[in-house]
Amino acid sequence: MTPFLLLLPAILTMLFVVALPLIFSFYTSMTSYRLTRPETIEDFIWFRNYIRLFENPDFWRAFLRTIVFLAIALNAELLLGLGIALLINKITWGQRTLRTIMMFPMMFSPILVGFQFKFIFNDNIGILNNALQSLGLTTQAIPWLVDAKLAMFSIIFAEVWMSTSVFAILLLAGLFAMPRDPIEAAKVDGCNSWQVFRHITLPFLMPFVFIAMTIRSLDVARAYDIVAIMTGGGPAGRTELLWTMIARVGYDNARMGQANAMAYLSTILSIAFTYYFYTKLVAARRYMGGAE
Amino acid sequence: MKTSLKRLLACAAMPALLAGSAFAQDYGNFDGYTLRVKLIGGAQYEPLYATISEWEAATGATVQILSRKNHFELDREIKQDIAAGTLNWCVGSNHTSFAPQYGNIYADLNDLIAPETLAGFTPLLLEHSTVDGRLVQLPRHSDVSNLFYIKSLYEDAENQAAFAAEYGYDLAPPETWDQVRDQALFFANPPDFFGTQFVGKDEAITGRFYERLVSNGGAMFDEDWNPTFNSPEGVAALQWFVDLYNAGAVPVGVPNYLWDDTGLGFASGTVALNLDWGGWSAFFNDAENSSVAGNVGVVRAPKGDAGLRTGWSGSHSFSITTTCDNPEAAASFITFLTDHDRQMIEARMGILPTRTAVWDDALAEFAAAGDDFMVEVFSTFRTSMAEDAFTPPLIAEWIEVSNALWPRLQAAMVGDMTAQQALDAAARDAREIMEDAGHL
Repeated sequence: MTPFLLLLPAILTMLFVVALPLIFSFYTSMTSYRLTRPETIEDFIWFRNYIRLFENPDFWRAFLRTIVFLAIALNAELLLGLGIALLINKITWGQRTLRTIMMFPMMFSPILVGFQFKFIFNDNIGILNNALQSLGLTTQAIPWLVDAKLAMFSIIFAEVWMSTSVFAILLLAGLFAMPRDPIEAAKVDGCNSWQVFRHITLPFLMPFVFIAMTIRSLDVARAYDIVAIMTGGGPAGRTELLWTMIARVGYDNARMGQANAMAYLSTILSIAFTYYFYTKLVAARRYMGGAE
Repeated sequence: MKTSLKRLLACAAMPALLAGSAFAQDYGNFDGYTLRVKLIGGAQYEPLYATISEWEAATGATVQILSRKNHFELDREIKQDIAAGTLNWCVGSNHTSFAPQYGNIYADLNDLIAPETLAGFTPLLLEHSTVDGRLVQLPRHSDVSNLFYIKSLYEDAENQAAFAAEYGYDLAPPETWDQVRDQALFFANPPDFFGTQFVGKDEAITGRFYERLVSNGGAMFDEDWNPTFNSPEGVAALQWFVDLYNAGAVPVGVPNYLWDDTGLGFASGTVALNLDWGGWSAFFNDAENSSVAGNVGVVRAPKGDAGLRTGWSGSHSFSITTTCDNPEAAASFITFLTDHDRQMIEARMGILPTRTAVWDDALAEFAAAGDDFMVEVFSTFRTSMAEDAFTPPLIAEWIEVSNALWPRLQAAMVGDMTAQQALDAAARDAREIMEDAGHL
């Protein structure tokens, strides 16, 4: 009985903060709940919202686009963050200042980042097209936020600009925590820099990589504001992600029941990403001889 | 003791009496009451709020501003308040496009505002502010779009000769949307200069399409609420946007443009013709912000195929919740915020008033100051507000229908669908929305 009592505060907290909202939103996903008509929360329609979603090709296109967005953005942030962390780790003078400067993009609100890049990528008065035209690199106005591939590139670029430093900070912490002995031993044994990185530094960093990936895969929805401001999911749904779609359906259209059904299906995506990274984290720690 | 208490009360009342005497109208006494409000925020809206302290001094009440957000965020917050049952505030900023969504949360102002006060407002705007027979909002300022153009382009003799030779009629600010297309194609020299431009997403492009549809003689719905915007008039309206986009007469990024993009684009001097809101006028003619300052003309919005002018219009407004614990104080507050002197503050910034007398007085003030541009702007917009302005259908589903429509309009523009396919697809979605809402 005593262990149960000791765990009770944690259980109650989990129940109220996690379980109840989840159960409530799952219930509302099976109603025709509209924010502007609170009485509709009692209008139980079973799986009609889900059936509509399964029949809605726009939703599944947004679902796949979100996976692509996550995969490209997270991997680009990881590679750039790792590169920055390794470079900063080498610096012996001014490291603290550089670490602070590196964190500047994280300090911006995603809304400001969205506006910033919206005007950088504006085809007519944007600084990028004007620079490219002034330098004679192009005579055309490049439709950064209209062309399907360029628009996805633009929003991923903005997201990577804002969040790469999260990876860099976490991986830098991993590098700081790394023991020097194995590296020195490897160098004595004749390993070159690449071999040291590939066989010693990187395996040691992998748990940090997967922790960072897990955190970012859950936190990446902050990019909603960037996408909403830069493209609003358009044009013609070309940059529509689950988050922009859910927000439009839930708030602008006030169809919270349908939006919750979308959110529940997108939760599967989050769980899949988190589970994958978590199993990788456990495997990496096992490889390093750490506790599971 | 009694004497000193009386003196104390008299002294305390003095500021209120002095302040009260500054107003032509008695705003009442709500001493000690705290009025909770949610207002739209943004640079152009703030000067009005700076006068709230005058109402507080006159009435003895205190105003607690719970929110000061842009309209889209405020809309979300209000919807959350409805869902959570937390409408524990009295006055909210509203808009004619948003108001029908909120059901009966706002009181009928015919019961709260004196008829003589309402008589000071432009009748058409009160009509636009009425939903299901209830006056749910008091219009603060209105807007409609007219056509701004760069004057020097039209005064240039070479342009005049070349245009007449190519199109067979004289170059003059356009009277029809067909002429806008001709002139936009004539002036366009992408990527350095564009004939015209338009907003391309969200309710913005829906509104622009809607007014073109109406000017062509079409309608969004028939009288039974069947979607009818995929009619030949609708296809012609959409094709106009598609043709200009494909011809490169507008910036290639327009499917992603909103009001700030078009406003800043015209001010940059790279666009010949720009249909835009009156609120931008002062900005366009401000040498610090605009490279076309002193070179801007404005004419009434052109006519469509049916001979009707475009005139999609909306009003920013104030509403009072039915749950308000002191509706008299709330009514006094919104009457104050929309009174003559408060509207003059916004009119001087180029924002269009909703009171008939303010139009006269603002025009007289601009004329006395020798500001010919603002006289031209206010004269044009006054006519437009009186004769051309119309709102979207005042139904709760308007925003939802708009969200079904605008991605399809974009799809036609960027070539993913033909105009007919895009409108047919949007009409199917709109039908489902209207069926769900019980209209069909």
